[in-house]
Amino acid sequence: MTSNSNGAVPTHGLGPFLQDARLRWVVAIAILAFLVVAPMIFGSYITVILTNALLYVVLCLGLNIVVGYAGLLDLGYAAFFAVGAYTIGVLTIQFGFNFWVAFPFAVLAAVLAGVIIGGPTLRLRSDYLAIVTLGFGEIVRFSARNLEITGRASGISGIQDPSLFGWQIRTQTDYYYVFVVLAIIAVIASFRLANSRLGRAWLYVRHDEDAAEAMGINRVQVKLAAYVIGAIFGAVGGAFFAANLGAISPESFSFEQSVLVLMAVILGGMGKIPGVILGAFIIILGPELLRDLGEFRLLVFAVGLLLIMLFRPSGIWPGRRGA
Amino acid sequence: MQTLKLLTAAGLIGLAAMGSGAIAQETMQIGVQVPTTGSEATYGQDMINAVQIAVDEINAEGGLLGQQVSLVTGDTACDPQQSVNAASRLVSANVVGVVGGYCSGATLPTLQIYGDANIPFIIAAANSTQLIPENPGNAFMINSTGADQAAKAVEFLSAQGAATLTIVNQGDAYSQDLATLASEDWTAAGNEVVSIETVNKGEQDYSAIVTKIRSTNPDAVFWTAYYADGGLLIRQLRQSGYQGIIAVGDGSNSPQLFDIAGQAAEGVFAFSNPTADFLPQAASFTETYQEDYGNAPGPYAPLAYDGMKLLGWAIAEAGSTDADAIIEVLRSADGQEWLAGPISFTDVNTLARSNFIVLKGEGGAWTRADE
Repeated sequence: MTSNSNGAVPTHGLGPFLQDARLRWVVAIAILAFLVVAPMIFGSYITVILTNALLYVVLCLGLNIVVGYAGLLDLGYAAFFAVGAYTIGVLTIQFGFNFWVAFPFAVLAAVLAGVIIGGPTLRLRSDYLAIVTLGFGEIVRFSARNLEITGRASGISGIQDPSLFGWQIRTQTDYYYVFVVLAIIAVIASFRLANSRLGRAWLYVRHDEDAAEAMGINRVQVKLAAYVIGAIFGAVGGAFFAANLGAISPESFSFEQSVLVLMAVILGGMGKIPGVILGAFIIILGPELLRDLGEFRLLVFAVGLLLIMLFRPSGIWPGRRGA
Repeated sequence: MQTLKLLTAAGLIGLAAMGSGAIAQETMQIGVQVPTTGSEATYGQDMINAVQIAVDEINAEGGLLGQQVSLVTGDTACDPQQSVNAASRLVSANVVGVVGGYCSGATLPTLQIYGDANIPFIIAAANSTQLIPENPGNAFMINSTGADQAAKAVEFLSAQGAATLTIVNQGDAYSQDLATLASEDWTAAGNEVVSIETVNKGEQDYSAIVTKIRSTNPDAVFWTAYYADGGLLIRQLRQSGYQGIIAVGDGSNSPQLFDIAGQAAEGVFAFSNPTADFLPQAASFTETYQEDYGNAPGPYAPLAYDGMKLLGWAIAEAGSTDADAIIEVLRSADGQEWLAGPISFTDVNTLARSNFIVLKGEGGAWTRADE
């Protein structure tokens, strides 16, 4: 499942196995088949957890574009997630819009948010960039917490379930399939982007900004594109998150949420799509699998994460030289 | 590195063993939905302890419908997303009913899940008025709502002769809800709200707001948020020389308010849910709790205990684990005496009376002020 093989020798275990194009398809179809039948085999609990994991796949792939592809550290990604969720919440509840009518506005709002955060930060690098994005994340959350229109601290509740061509999306299983589709779209988009001209430009900018600019890459445009596209992923996830829960509150978009998404990306391996997906699943499934441990579960989970980073400092997914 | 790897493997196997051993199906399972991690974990654990005492008593009397009762815990971490996971897990565990619900925000999205699964849900602590319209009919709130607390506060402060009031909240769902309700009631009672102030959680220096209160000098100040920050505000208010009435909501009725505010907490009024200390009929419960867990029961312990007992009563009365029958019985609850007082429900399944009591800070502890 690694992107185009450029003849480099893979360094770790799974690499050569997945290098084979046919095997890659087999694995992809097997995973897809599993995702389709999963709710029928497992109970509603597993379905809910998987839905959550798939939401994280979308978010992590979005952040992966900013952090992994373009190399811009973002500590406020939850802000885009919040923008999507709140746009749906405000437009459907306060203005009586239909979910699907509100949806393009959620995407539009995300683009706007991406430009707002992207614009002033283009001159910044590493640590400074991290601080500004952190601030942006908090600004969005605090605005949501204090504005009348966003329901202030109580948030917005009673968001209606959308229907699609007569199919009323309502039960947990319905939402599960919605998120399966979203995750698949996100994966395909990520692959396509990585291999596109823009993806190459991101790679170049990440490695050496100045050299990239000297070679004729429009640094400003390329970086802005990363923020905007990352923001759209986040907002789409947020929009369906709002519809799924039916209630949103500022607490759902805290700094921890940003950190969790970033952690999943780093854990799986920045810039590596299968790795990021794996990271999203670990971050969500880990604490759930450990639920029986009661109050120790987060401790055990944290130790597990530390061990992973100790053994695989550049992420779980095997890296490729020269990528 | 090799040893570390071995250790990790051993640890994982151990975990798997622990995980598989925890589930037993022969008993009647009741879910407890509370936060056991995060900032509110102590309250959650406290509620579990209280529910466990109720279950122990039920089991000692032969259980329910001839079955022993066991508990399944769902950790909400006070987070809406996690609480949905926890609720789905409880549903998958085929629980007969659920007791709990601490944070209103985290309880809100679980209502639909229990509603769809048709599982009776007794909400022991969460009391935001937002929960009422989202209730599909299977949930019952045995704690008085924020509206009841606001009414009690307005009634009490008016009786104390206050006419002007400044309300300070922390901008979270609970304290903002209470502040808004209190302000509406206060104005409706013909009094004047000087201002509603919002402070940020964790702030250390309240001099800006203290100066403002000093210059407007209202008859009373009502703090609607939690004790940690409330204690600091009270201390700084009194230090500045403010002489009026200070009252705090049920988030600040912790004994720890006295540690933080010190002498300044003397004479402060608190509105409170019925805590075990002030319930004469809870003496033996407090004793058992102290014996079993080595500390005094927390503020929501009696309500959690009542929630479990009420559910047990409803199951026994219904004579089956059929949800509709249990819900029917719960609806018909007509004011039997429980630990925290009589329970009967309004037609939107909220407690039919206000259970708030008024406390006063005296000698570094709370005493009952409204009897």
